[in-house]
Amino acid sequence: MTLLALAGCGRQAPPSDTLRLAIINDPIMNAPLSPDIGSVLINKIIFPGLMRPGDSTTTEPDLAASFEVSTNEREYTFALRPGVVWHDGTAFTSRDVKFTFDQILDPKSGTLQWSDFSIIDSVTTPDSLTVKFWLRSPFAPFLTLLGHNAGIIPAHAFQGRIADAVEFNRSRPIGTGPFQVAESVAGSYVVLRANPRYHGSPPRLSRIIVKIVPDVNAQVAQMLAGELDLVTLEPANLSGLGNDPDLRVDQVSVPQHYYVGFNQGIPRFRSPLVRRALTLAVDRQAIIDGVMKGSADYPQGTIPVALGEYYAADLPRIPYDTTAALALFAEAGWRRGQDGLLRDASGQAFGFTLLVDKGNPSREQAAVAVQQQLRAIGVSVTINTMEFASLVRDYVVPRRHEAYLIWWNTPLDPDQFSYYGTAQSNNDVLYSNRRADSLLARGRASLDPAVRRAAYHEFQAVEAEDPPVLLLYYPRELQVRRATLHGLPALGIRDALRHTEKFYFAAGGR
Amino acid sequence: MIRRLVGRAAQGLLVLWAVTTATFVLIHAAPGGPAVLADPKLSPVERAAIESRLGLDRSLGVQYLRWHGRLLTGDLGDSFLYQTPTLATVLGRLPNTLLLVTTALVVAILIAVPVGLAVGQRPGGPFDRIVGVVNFTALAIPPFWFGIVGILLLAARWRVLPAGGMMTPGMPADLVDRLRHLVLPAAVLALPLAAELIRYLRNAVAATLEASHLPPARARGLAGSAILTRHVLRNALLPLLTAIGLQVPLLVGGAAVTETVFAWPGMGRLGVEAALGRDYPLVMAIALVVAATVVVANFGLDLLAGWADPRIRSRR
Amino acid sequence: MSRRIPLRPLAGLAVLSLFAAIGPWLHGTDPAAIDLARTAAPASALHPLGTDESGRDVLARLMAGGRVSLLVGVAAGLVALLVGTGVGALAASRRRWLAEPVSRLLDAALAVPAFFLLLVIMTLFGGSAASLVLAVGLTAWTGIARLVRAETMTLREREYVLSAEALGQSRFGVFRRHVLPHLVPVLTAAASVGVAQAVLTESALSFLGLGVEPPQASWGSMLTGAQQNLATAPWLAVYPGLLIVATVLACNALAEAVRTRQPGSPR
Repeated sequence: MTLLALAGCGRQAPPSDTLRLAIINDPIMNAPLSPDIGSVLINKIIFPGLMRPGDSTTTEPDLAASFEVSTNEREYTFALRPGVVWHDGTAFTSRDVKFTFDQILDPKSGTLQWSDFSIIDSVTTPDSLTVKFWLRSPFAPFLTLLGHNAGIIPAHAFQGRIADAVEFNRSRPIGTGPFQVAESVAGSYVVLRANPRYHGSPPRLSRIIVKIVPDVNAQVAQMLAGELDLVTLEPANLSGLGNDPDLRVDQVSVPQHYYVGFNQGIPRFRSPLVRRALTLAVDRQAIIDGVMKGSADYPQGTIPVALGEYYAADLPRIPYDTTAALALFAEAGWRRGQDGLLRDASGQAFGFTLLVDKGNPSREQAAVAVQQQLRAIGVSVTINTMEFASLVRDYVVPRRHEAYLIWWNTPLDPDQFSYYGTAQSNNDVLYSNRRADSLLARGRASLDPAVRRAAYHEFQAVEAEDPPVLLLYYPRELQVRRATLHGLPALGIRDALRHTEKFYFAAGGR
Repeated sequence: MIRRLVGRAAQGLLVLWAVTTATFVLIHAAPGGPAVLADPKLSPVERAAIESRLGLDRSLGVQYLRWHGRLLTGDLGDSFLYQTPTLATVLGRLPNTLLLVTTALVVAILIAVPVGLAVGQRPGGPFDRIVGVVNFTALAIPPFWFGIVGILLLAARWRVLPAGGMMTPGMPADLVDRLRHLVLPAAVLALPLAAELIRYLRNAVAATLEASHLPPARARGLAGSAILTRHVLRNALLPLLTAIGLQVPLLVGGAAVTETVFAWPGMGRLGVEAALGRDYPLVMAIALVVAATVVVANFGLDLLAGWADPRIRSRR
Repeated sequence: MSRRIPLRPLAGLAVLSLFAAIGPWLHGTDPAAIDLARTAAPASALHPLGTDESGRDVLARLMAGGRVSLLVGVAAGLVALLVGTGVGALAASRRRWLAEPVSRLLDAALAVPAFFLLLVIMTLFGGSAASLVLAVGLTAWTGIARLVRAETMTLREREYVLSAEALGQSRFGVFRRHVLPHLVPVLTAAASVGVAQAVLTESALSFLGLGVEPPQASWGSMLTGAQQNLATAPWLAVYPGLLIVATVLACNALAEAVRTRQPGSPR
């Protein structure tokens, strides 16, 4: 009976100047380390970088006041914003920037950003408010990457390896962001309070509470119960929200492309005809409607619509057309046999094993849809569901995969040289196209938007003829927020959290 | 008595050794690897650096021996996922799990003792039948489902209880707030436990009454009297303690599910995360602490049983 | 309730088994096939119980899922029964050099937090029905072993057992002919409780994402999947939920019935 009495009282609406959001695990609050999405998100708030995303294709100075690029485009000089202090009051200087990049460029330090910045030759600090980056070659995405995950950490807070700085990483991190850590309870939550000395416009919220809620359905329940203000959800979870008038759902295009990758080290997948035929044979609109509940865009090439002007909107779409698919298969030497299966001249049937990571309903369903649709034209697909870690480590890295359903999640820059350039580090599908190579190289080497746009539009035209992968969709991120919460830029949550000082609850509170 | 306790302690050590060794063999025999290595973007250079930093480049025998060496120093290494000392991380979560589990246990006992005594004195009576049906149902509903429905109704729909967590974050420590967060998860854990204990007690009480050779009418006349209750309770105590002892390992395991449903920062949930992320040192530390908790709980129950049962007490 | 054979639980289990065993022949829809045009749809002629969140036929999945859930339950129960009986009998053996260590090991195993080990096994080897059976079975045998040990120790002091031993019959022979038959009711009860436990454990593992791998279904995984649509498509939770509850109830009732036919053994 006491319990019932307790249930009734004590419920009080939290003040409307506190934002509560959810991540699924305990974060490591050290920007260069950030091993998981929860850490990445909270670090975006605590640790600003030299730059930050402006809108879908621009980047704006953050800790930098201004920057200059040398004429050979290999030397970047940043004038740091004067008067910036760390959350502990120490002055922010070029030494901190140098320290951060020394860590990033040392793979042994435990950071996961080495590949983003391996283009850097050296970092120098002519004075306490100037930093110079020397690049091995011109590299257009550099500024965007500086505003992506490369939050700056304080040199004075570390002795030895940053990975070993448990105190800092877990409970007492200091950054330069609009909110600073006030309290951290392992497994429960982190309370961030407004930083009165923030270098940008003063934060409008007084606190951000980052709760740790591992189960997505529990996040939905907490949204409904009024215990969270902002979460991102999968399309499948959306119906659980019902029609709560207190909640709004924003759909935001994000720089991701989901695809079925074929290992082009295997001869049958080397033919562009075959990859185009496979693309024609999958009804991607049905997957977008049925699996993604409409919250995704029909894909063109590997550069998603979130990249604005770099997306070639005027290219003709590859439709769902099984007749055309069979014609292309025939051209490539695969015809349907008596049993309806596609076979080559020697009688070998066309089939493959499709790997998909388990635990994500959308991807599992998309895999089954691909399987069913390809079966309809005589391609037999076996689905193998496994732990993501196992998929990467046991199949993709040693190149033991035939096909896999996966995605890339990129900074807001169209550079995809490392993904689809011949023999590049992240080209796990082993795609190789001379024309694509030169276009991707041209696009990443030029700082001129017009030159880049032309290169990437042409790259997408090449992809239409010789698709590197079977594109499935460009997902839209579903941001569920309390209706009274405003000030979020129209960016994915990762990039939007670079702007938390602008977030506010409308007058009148909840 | 002393010999019994020494035997029990030796057995406890055996359990600890068996659980940790089994866990070590299992985690290393499994396919896949640490989640920190799962990023497809990692270059071979980074992969190698991570493996050497985590000590994964050494042979399994060496890793196994090193773990025992570390056990002696009390430093079980750092978690791959959290980069914190594992033992401290697990011990930090232990009180939360203990709070949840002991609350559930106490609630279950408080429900089970009166109900079990009542139905045991009149087996086959109307109250016994009602309790039987409720018990059967309570044991048949998957606990996680009970929790989810509880959250949806009590938290999301009617907003009378919080949907999860241990406390409202950012608020000063407040007993009422803590208790409100405890209600649902403790209830979910306590429900099947109470049902199970009621069954044990009912049978034990019935058996005691039968063995006391009282004519049924006389027994019924006595039912409810203080003397009988004391007599019966003393005899039912041992089976009850045994039953609790058997339930403790299940309870600690069941907490993993409940903690996940309610975002309760306990050891069980940490265990699920650690196993899914292939965080070898953390899984090992949790195995050790979970097993130690159960061993200590059983040891304590054993002491109680020795005190409750004159036969055991008198044996030495 | 003084019927010799517990008809109602048995009938219930028979109906559930038939539903899973021959249902798929009567309702021929592929349980893994997805109908992207109809997701989380209510009952229709095409899908008698509607479709789930992925557009899969609920009836077909309940039948296929029943095969998995019941098979896992029964097989795991059997594994537990075999291992438990064996270990329990050894622990109650008259050969002290054998009984003593086995008994100590059993006591130790009883203190092992089985669900945690189960969790580790399933996260690491996860997925298949076979690994579920082994994992659940190999963690559930301890309770049965404890029972068998206690019962055997009581039984072997009975006169007919002692006289059979005096007549020089082999110890295993005595166990098989004179002890085992008397254990049958206890074992039946323990096994049906084991099946019920296994069905529940399977659903808990599914909730943690460690159950059978999709696109395979089980009642537990269906119940878990239904969570997200509870507001819009509650029937998705009701059907598998009812089937789980019915199975567990029937098993427990069977155990209870068998137990109460045994005078003097209140467990």
